[in-house]
Amino acid sequence: MIKVEKLNAGYGKLQILFDVDVEVSSGKITTIVGPNGSGKSTFLKSLFGLTDIYSGNITYDNKDITYIPPHEKTKMGISYLPQTNNVFTNLSVIENLKIAGYILKKNELEERMNFALKVFPELKDILNKKAGALSGGQRQMLAMATALVRKTKLLILDEPTAQLSPKLAEVIFDKIVELRDDYNITPLLVEQNAKRALEISDVGYMFVSGKVAYGGSAKSLLEHEKFQSYFLGIVDDESQIGDNYDGSY
Amino acid sequence: MMGVIEGTIVWSNIIVLLALGLTMTYITTAVPNFAQASFAVVGSYIALTLLRFIGLDPYLSIPLTFIIGGLIGISTYYIALKPLIKRKASIEMLMIATLAWDLILFGIIGAYSEILGSLTKRTETLFVFTNLDFEVYGLPGRLIVSTMLVLLTIIGLYLLLYKTKFGIALRASMENPSLAEAMGINVENTRLFSWFISGSLACMAGSILPYLQEIVPQTGYFLIVSIFAASIVGGLYHIAGALIGGYIIGVSESLFTYLLSMFFGPGVLVYGKVISLIIMIIAILIIPRGVTGSILWRRLEKWLNL
Repeated sequence: MIKVEKLNAGYGKLQILFDVDVEVSSGKITTIVGPNGSGKSTFLKSLFGLTDIYSGNITYDNKDITYIPPHEKTKMGISYLPQTNNVFTNLSVIENLKIAGYILKKNELEERMNFALKVFPELKDILNKKAGALSGGQRQMLAMATALVRKTKLLILDEPTAQLSPKLAEVIFDKIVELRDDYNITPLLVEQNAKRALEISDVGYMFVSGKVAYGGSAKSLLEHEKFQSYFLGIVDDESQIGDNYDGSY
Repeated sequence: MMGVIEGTIVWSNIIVLLALGLTMTYITTAVPNFAQASFAVVGSYIALTLLRFIGLDPYLSIPLTFIIGGLIGISTYYIALKPLIKRKASIEMLMIATLAWDLILFGIIGAYSEILGSLTKRTETLFVFTNLDFEVYGLPGRLIVSTMLVLLTIIGLYLLLYKTKFGIALRASMENPSLAEAMGINVENTRLFSWFISGSLACMAGSILPYLQEIVPQTGYFLIVSIFAASIVGGLYHIAGALIGGYIIGVSESLFTYLLSMFFGPGVLVYGKVISLIIMIIAILIIPRGVTGSILWRRLEKWLNL
């Protein structure tokens, strides 16, 4: 679905990503984990066209989208939900859904909104509530629902469970699985809650210092000695992890 | 006393219309527009021109001043700001650009008033419409018309912002332009619209202003203080702020100055703007984001589910 090759990107003169190779396959949940500052969020932003790309290629369904602006990517079925500011807090839930389908015709918009509310029935009772007054979990669900209104094929999520209680985080993880299984949407996520995210994922990548340190099946990453050591805080030399990755899985 | 109250309401209505425009363009383009008051003086001169050449009552010229004002607003954005925004100019640069634009408008108004005077063989560098006003049951036309204009503007803006797709897009663009863009909204159009409305409301207010006070090409310099004070006191980040701030400043300026003049004599009236500045300073110290940015306002909004 999306293939990233030798991506070098950052902000202005500050390079964050170095020769990153990542492949996201249709119908699979792909999760990127890694310590703070490893370039995970920058990678997602780069996919959506929100960073400066110095070199490398991003192809989506065999089309080169490396330098395509974000609003064009939205039309192609790619949705990016940042960790914060992913809904309009001054608008009500229903207004957020309406605005998500701004480019759709009235009939189509109705249809897509009904679909989004079918996937997230929790929002039905709070349609007139301002998004700014929602709980963290509700807000995250609304953000994901807006992506559904936009006919999303690839849903890029930056830490969707950040600042949520474990119970609410579990609800969001269940929704991500549901999106893949029932609605043919391909989720790509970055998560701090690495273990749980990899448990629901098909493919996992580990970023360290702006490079891909490991890529493979989520199960293999979970069981990887280095991953376990790293997330237990035992590894103190990050370069040890990178030794195992050859750019394929 | 009735005359003072009536004058206070009319003055406040005018400030509200002007502050609404200032706040709208600030929210959408993040530019404090120093030319806002000059837009109003342009409106006054449009009304005067129509009166002199075709004998049109200034109240009846409001629809035309509204449209011309809108075009002036759009021109301001296109000529003075957009080229700078494209070059990623800082907010200070944009602010200075509006100051420069204000000086240009001032020059144009000054020159135009002289040309108009030479054509009409009258002194057009100073004029009023007070002698043209009508009365209904003892209520002056300026009170009725200015109040109606504020009510129509509020209802119109409410319907537009809350009941139309474009209005929701406008509010979305005001809050988070980059997210709005990601949703496929043309943020540029929403900015243009704000500048149109800003210019329209200002010129509309300007066509009422000569019913209340003498107009000279420099009138804008006195007006701008009250407009900024209203928008800042009400809160520059919320359209309702212009409404609240407009009435706070309008009422305070007129009534306080009147009360002070009772004790210290009519000489105090000249310093009416000091009241606006004092209120603005107090507001900045206590509630830096204005009334609509205060905790109390947020609680009220939550309570009303606004």
